[in-house]
Amino acid sequence: MDLTKEQKIRLYTNLVRVRKLDETMVKALLTGKISTFFHSGEGQEAVGVGACSFLREDDYLFPSHRGHAISKTLIKGLPARIILAEHYGRITGCCDGVSGFHTCDMKLGIPGMSGTLGGHFPLAVGMGLAAQLRGKKQVVMVIEGEGTYARGTFHESMIMAATWKLPNLFIVENNQIMGNTPVKIIHPKDDFADLGFGYGVPAKVVDGQDVFAVHKEVQTAIDRARADEGPSLIECKTYRIQPHAVGLPDTLLGRPRTQEEIEVWRKRDPIKLAQKRLLKEGVLTQVDIEKIDGGAANEMEEADRLAWADPMPTDPKEILKKALYAE
Amino acid sequence: MREVRFIQAINEALLEEMKRDETVFIFGECVRGGTFPHTNGLFEKFGKDRVLDTSISENAIAGAAVGAALAGYRPIAELMFSDFFLIAGDEICNKAAKWRFTHGMKLKMPIVYMASTGGYIRSDSEHSQSVESLIMHTPGLRIAIPTTPYDAKGLLKTAIRDDDPVVYLYHKLLLTKKGEIPDEEYTIPFGLADVKKEGKDVTVVAVGFMVDLSLGVANKLQERGISVEVIDPRTLEPFDIDTIVTSVKKTKRVVIVDEDTLRCGVTGEIGMQIMEKAFDYLDAPIQRVAAANCPIPAGWYLEEHVLPQPPDIAAAILKVLGKDMDISDMKKEKVGFDAVKAFGDLGITKVKQN
Amino acid sequence: MLTKEQKMKLYTNLVRVRKLDEIMVKGVLSGKVCGHWSSQKGQEAVGVGATTFLRKDDYIFFCHRGHGITTVIPKGISPRAFIAEHFSKNSGACQGMGCLHVADMEYGAPGLSGSLGGDFVLAAGMGIAAKMRAKGQVVVCIQGDGTYGRGTFHEAALMAANWKLPIVWGVENNQYMVFTPTSDIFPKENMADLAFGYGMPGVVVDGQDVVAVFEAFQTAIERARAGEGPSLIECKTYRIEPHTYGMVDKRCAGLRSPEEIEPWVKKDPVNLFQERLLKEGVLTQADVDRIDREAIEEMEEAERFATESPAPDPQILKQVLYWK
Ligand SMILES: Cc1ncc(C[n+]2csc(CCOP(=O)(O)OP(=O)(O)O)c2C)c(N)n1
Ligand SMILES: Cc1ncc(C[n+]2csc(CCOP(=O)(O)OP(=O)(O)O)c2C)c(N)n1
Ligand SMILES: [Mg+2]
Repeated sequence: MDLTKEQKIRLYTNLVRVRKLDETMVKALLTGKISTFFHSGEGQEAVGVGACSFLREDDYLFPSHRGHAISKTLIKGLPARIILAEHYGRITGCCDGVSGFHTCDMKLGIPGMSGTLGGHFPLAVGMGLAAQLRGKKQVVMVIEGEGTYARGTFHESMIMAATWKLPNLFIVENNQIMGNTPVKIIHPKDDFADLGFGYGVPAKVVDGQDVFAVHKEVQTAIDRARADEGPSLIECKTYRIQPHAVGLPDTLLGRPRTQEEIEVWRKRDPIKLAQKRLLKEGVLTQVDIEKIDGGAANEMEEADRLAWADPMPTDPKEILKKALYAE
Repeated sequence: MREVRFIQAINEALLEEMKRDETVFIFGECVRGGTFPHTNGLFEKFGKDRVLDTSISENAIAGAAVGAALAGYRPIAELMFSDFFLIAGDEICNKAAKWRFTHGMKLKMPIVYMASTGGYIRSDSEHSQSVESLIMHTPGLRIAIPTTPYDAKGLLKTAIRDDDPVVYLYHKLLLTKKGEIPDEEYTIPFGLADVKKEGKDVTVVAVGFMVDLSLGVANKLQERGISVEVIDPRTLEPFDIDTIVTSVKKTKRVVIVDEDTLRCGVTGEIGMQIMEKAFDYLDAPIQRVAAANCPIPAGWYLEEHVLPQPPDIAAAILKVLGKDMDISDMKKEKVGFDAVKAFGDLGITKVKQN
Repeated sequence: MLTKEQKMKLYTNLVRVRKLDEIMVKGVLSGKVCGHWSSQKGQEAVGVGATTFLRKDDYIFFCHRGHGITTVIPKGISPRAFIAEHFSKNSGACQGMGCLHVADMEYGAPGLSGSLGGDFVLAAGMGIAAKMRAKGQVVVCIQGDGTYGRGTFHEAALMAANWKLPIVWGVENNQYMVFTPTSDIFPKENMADLAFGYGMPGVVVDGQDVVAVFEAFQTAIERARAGEGPSLIECKTYRIEPHTYGMVDKRCAGLRSPEEIEPWVKKDPVNLFQERLLKEGVLTQADVDRIDREAIEEMEEAERFATESPAPDPQILKQVLYWK
């Protein structure tokens, strides 16, 4: 099914919103508003935006740590102010400010984030099982970095999802680097998508810089899942522009990463690519682009201002009292 | 009241709860009929959607339970042997135990992790362990260890209805044990210890299968004029220290018995809590009986030298009382598991040992 | 091509393993075996075909079924040590401490993980060691179909493929995981298909045919010795006996039907190979009888040895935790 003009504009706008929020968060880290770290997802926005822009609210989503999931959670409906407030430890954050970057909002189908990578796979299968039992055609999407696909939990989860034909989508956001290690030296094959074959799960490789291509492939998989035809695996090839976490030395195997390699990928920046295409198709004009840019910048500026001004929890001890059990 | 076996009590709790609440489902290895027959009949009654067999995938079993709980269901994850909690450590001790906290305490995590526990079965070091100290150590996990059919049913029903992750351990040697349960519906609240035998001279706090061993010893000592009170905490988290303190105030002497290792085992934690709450009432240092700091050998000539035995419990009781007495008769009796016979009783085996 | 002697050796090993299995069954029934016995009857061709011609310094990991009987016996561990270990005697391969966990590093048999699937990652480690040592050693790791569900396989397979480790992964697919048919818990017909994702060869062979098994492993072993990396071989076989000896024989909740088992009894690997060798003229009926008799004598003698051996001294427990 072809995208309507509105849908295309929505995808483009979402790319820009995510980029602006990423920039806001980098700035927040550098000015000490965010403590510890921020794993910028600059240049990888098309994966999350393409995959999540048309999810249903009651679909479930497990995003990875990259960009602290903003290319997925913002798109699934979590307001920037709430994401930022959580990072700032404010009571208005999605987890009352206790979670750091583990954003979560069950009403939006965002169950939270695992600290140990690869922890999401079995959880997603459990949600797939729940979705299947409930019979409302919800889908469950996991988006993880390629490094994370080496966890044994992936194998166990694929077996379950494929055997029970669960409505799961496994998306590989292959940015070609795991920490400071190029993935080609730790993975035996070019394509992670090849792992699908062993489980009889349809698998595709797609250009992760092209938001429209990502969306098309993911939509096909979603349709399959909603039709009870089982899980799919989609590998999106992209590239990490920033260091693993902002401010860390940008090295590969102990040596500084070459700027040339980064430049090659900057030329394929997902926003630039989408812009070029939509200008050519006449979907957008230069004026529209500036408007979208300005709108996104305003949205994030305001979110940042409000979040920062939000109150801190007044009584941390009270919060910790509720820490362990539901009642 | 009617008499049932321990395993039947578990089975009834599962049947009743799955009938009562259709968000309850069970999955794991061989739950349609398997190694331990406590899930028998569930598949016939509730079908393949709610009784699911999996491959050998402990991480995915334990983790999928977390996912299903997050999505509003009440999964029961059967892990077969409590030793495999170590495999699924990330899912149980990191995800199930911490997820709710990590994400601002707005989520429920109604999971039951079930598994057989303990040794005396002449299997091996990876099918005989007791993991209660590991679980009790982890903030966010509840843990119930029933020792009678009555407790097995009542505690499991509570576990299933609880909104937090509960580890529920059934000891292999208790599966065939018989006991009375009421005909009508009942549950047992967590955090309520049960005085399994009243006594006035010494308090024995025993965990899990050790309750049975301690009761045996207590009855033998009764004939010799020593009155032992045996307390079964039933749940280690929440832990009912009050009942124990009340008993200590009466007897002034304590022995703690657990099948897990002595070092960093739950006997240390319980003993310390008694020290903090009832030190002034103690007339003698607390005694502990637990497994040696050693993996559990598979060989049957060696297992008895590692796991607690009745004479060890008797000796500790005598020591805390400052008494000397001949207990050599107790040494003859061996604690052990005749798998063929036990499984024969449960209808799993067809061959009788000769 | 196998020589006449090699064929005789394969056949003899099949018979020895079968006779040892019978002794173990008797041992369980008479209460001599410590723990349980999971008979591997009818599946012998897999282990025997894979390991009979391994080098002594090659490493093996085996499935829990048969407690390694089809691999450690061809590899050279004596039936005496095997039986005595199961009787928990100090003359056992592990001084009576391990029982089903038979191990002897002299024959490259490091043991058996109690939690299934634990062996995959250990095999990867031994593969790394073998590669570093550069003496052409290989690691053969055969596990049950159910065990391949463990995530440890994925992690080990990635490592092995990525570093081209000299490992042969074997699936002994007996179509059951305890009472659960494998087809109910694995999404595809062939587990060998898993190999594709790791970029290693994956083949399916008839697990009842000891020569076919041998040939498939031989190809993979040569590849591994040549530094070309791991392979995955799936052997299709069938569990004839109940999951453990004496258990009620179930399929899910119901009983397993004799009609299902019967065709597989007809494909008994010992009988199939015997018929073939008789037809080829490699064996005469007299040879068959002699091999049978010798195997029985060997196993009965080993059983007597084990029975007469003393139990381990509990003092041994003082030294169990650390090397020193
Ligand atoms: C189980 C586990 N191992 C290691 C880490 C530490 N860690 C955090 S991010 C990261 C790299 C992840 O790489 P990848 O999945 O490719 O995602 P990317 O960072 O490239 O987006 C690692 C190793 C972790 N959080 N959890
Ligand atoms: C990690 C782990 N999970 C479960 C078990 C219990 N268990 C023992 S044998 C067995 C079945 C193994 O199936 P498979 O690998 O197909 O071997 P088979 O018994 O068919 O030879 C199971 C589940 C175990 N030992 N380890
Ligand atoms: Mg099997």
